[in-house]
Amino acid sequence: MNATLIASECEARTQPRVVVAGLASCFGCQLQITNAEAHLLEVLGQIDLRYWQLVSSEPLPDEYDVAVIEGAVTTDEAVRTVRELRAKAKAVIAIGACAVTGGVPGMAAAGFDDRVAGTFAGAVPSACGTMRAPKPVSDYIDVDFTVRCCPIDSYDFIRVLQSALYGSNHIEADRTMCGDCKRRENECFYKQGTLCLGLVTRAACGARCVNLGRPCNGCAGLSPDANLEAARATCTAAGVDPNRFDEALQMFNQAALIAAADAARKEAE
Amino acid sequence: MLYRVIDAQELPALVRAFMESYEVVAPVKRGSGYVFRAVDDPADIALSYTMTDSSVKKYLLPPDEPLMRFDARTNLVEDFHEEVTPRVLFGLHACDINAINRLDLVFRDGAYPDPYYCARREATLVVGISCMPGDHCFCQLWGSDEVQFGYDLFFQDIGGKYLVSISSVTAANILESACNPREATDEDRIEFRHATRRRQAAFNPDIPRIEDVSMLMDAFHKDPFWDELGGRCLSCTACSAVCPTCYCFDITDELDPDGAHGVRKRVWDSCTNPSFATVAGGHNFRPTGRERVRHRMYHKLNGFMATHDRMLCVGCGRCVDACKANINPIEVLKFFEKKGLEDVE
Repeated sequence: MNATLIASECEARTQPRVVVAGLASCFGCQLQITNAEAHLLEVLGQIDLRYWQLVSSEPLPDEYDVAVIEGAVTTDEAVRTVRELRAKAKAVIAIGACAVTGGVPGMAAAGFDDRVAGTFAGAVPSACGTMRAPKPVSDYIDVDFTVRCCPIDSYDFIRVLQSALYGSNHIEADRTMCGDCKRRENECFYKQGTLCLGLVTRAACGARCVNLGRPCNGCAGLSPDANLEAARATCTAAGVDPNRFDEALQMFNQAALIAAADAARKEAE
Repeated sequence: MLYRVIDAQELPALVRAFMESYEVVAPVKRGSGYVFRAVDDPADIALSYTMTDSSVKKYLLPPDEPLMRFDARTNLVEDFHEEVTPRVLFGLHACDINAINRLDLVFRDGAYPDPYYCARREATLVVGISCMPGDHCFCQLWGSDEVQFGYDLFFQDIGGKYLVSISSVTAANILESACNPREATDEDRIEFRHATRRRQAAFNPDIPRIEDVSMLMDAFHKDPFWDELGGRCLSCTACSAVCPTCYCFDITDELDPDGAHGVRKRVWDSCTNPSFATVAGGHNFRPTGRERVRHRMYHKLNGFMATHDRMLCVGCGRCVDACKANINPIEVLKFFEKKGLEDVE
């Protein structure tokens, strides 16, 4: 095949143009995309990948169809970036706990201004940008699809990307995780008096950590139907201090808990 | 029905005989409880188990089951054939066999038999064993502490011996070849009656014995009790995952990474899953735990009765262990008991 033919074939292609942007995160979820090695070329063959922050220092292009966003929003610059991505993309996919729940950066959300003042004593390095309390992407823009967990599952990403490209009858689970443990016939940590956040966490991973013998630490985020009060009662009944349950939730769900507390306060007023 | 007696020591030989042509699934000890697993050594089987954490329904209705493969470009179904493993479900209690009989009503005996279920059921032998109830067992309330059909062999422990009910030729032949079955004596029959009475007397007396449960479910449909019970639901679906008769499912299409082919799957769903009753347009007609938990209890204790003349609950007590919010039929029975006492006052 000669070069002219290849060029004309490329022109005829109407593959969706995809960009992958990274905000405050460890970049591990972008890396997880590459961990689908065996199928990576098949996936790349279905899209026109215009930008991938992990592998290129080229600036964001002007036109694209799908924006994949990793990381929490922690600066004014990031707010502008996500708004631009939303304005230009037909579909926005948030990937990883940082983008979806605020994740690990979100742990710094409570009392953020005091924390910044205490750390930098008024001299914030310019490389930090104009900092603001870490929040999930969905606090600033509408998000069409999410790939949960810390880190994401490579194949979960492919499935969600395909949902954005072709449509899907898949509904995101809103049930919590214990039922998935029962499907896998895992032994329940609460029978041993061990704290596990599966009680209130979305069943997004098939109870992956518990399958591997570790309690859930809630990286998929709280289910919209999470029953925190009933979960605390479960802890108490199992001999687990409910304060430890509340504390453990801070790791991946602080932003959501602050937002819920704010909303409750407003309602009370 | 044919009855024979074998010695308890003959059981391992029977298991080994089954293993020649079947996968044998049996209760084994796991951590603080028991699970049904494929075994390759009769010594691993823990026949004196009280209850397993989950039931054997996964062997007839897998939690995640491919129904067909398709070509997403041509929109055509690709040839799909799943191997069915010939299997013996060994050591099932009466409640679990009664549960399979209820699944049969839904998936095999209705107007539209489910070919996936039927293929597995057809390739499955069921071998039951008598049991003594644990603290959470209430099968006797629904009459499922005994089982009349749905098994190939049923072993009644009569002290060092088993009285065996034989109801299939296939299983009878294997029993004949592996053991030395003999006619039951009067002594065996006396011991059988004693064993039955011991079981009947051993149920937890703290679980209320309530008559007319189905009718009471209708009578108290709007009681605030359901807010209280459903209000503590964790929305985890553990109840239906461990339940031997919960059969609701969802169907999803999953594309392969190449985007060109895919698989249509049936996966377990549950009416306690918050989005279970969400319909096109986004309306959820059972939006809170109150409606969802009430609905589940209704299907178990009332709705199935209306269509199939028996409870969908078999009283195995698994949900009593699995639900960390203490939501289970025993709580419903206690509520009816409390209502009855209030009436007297």
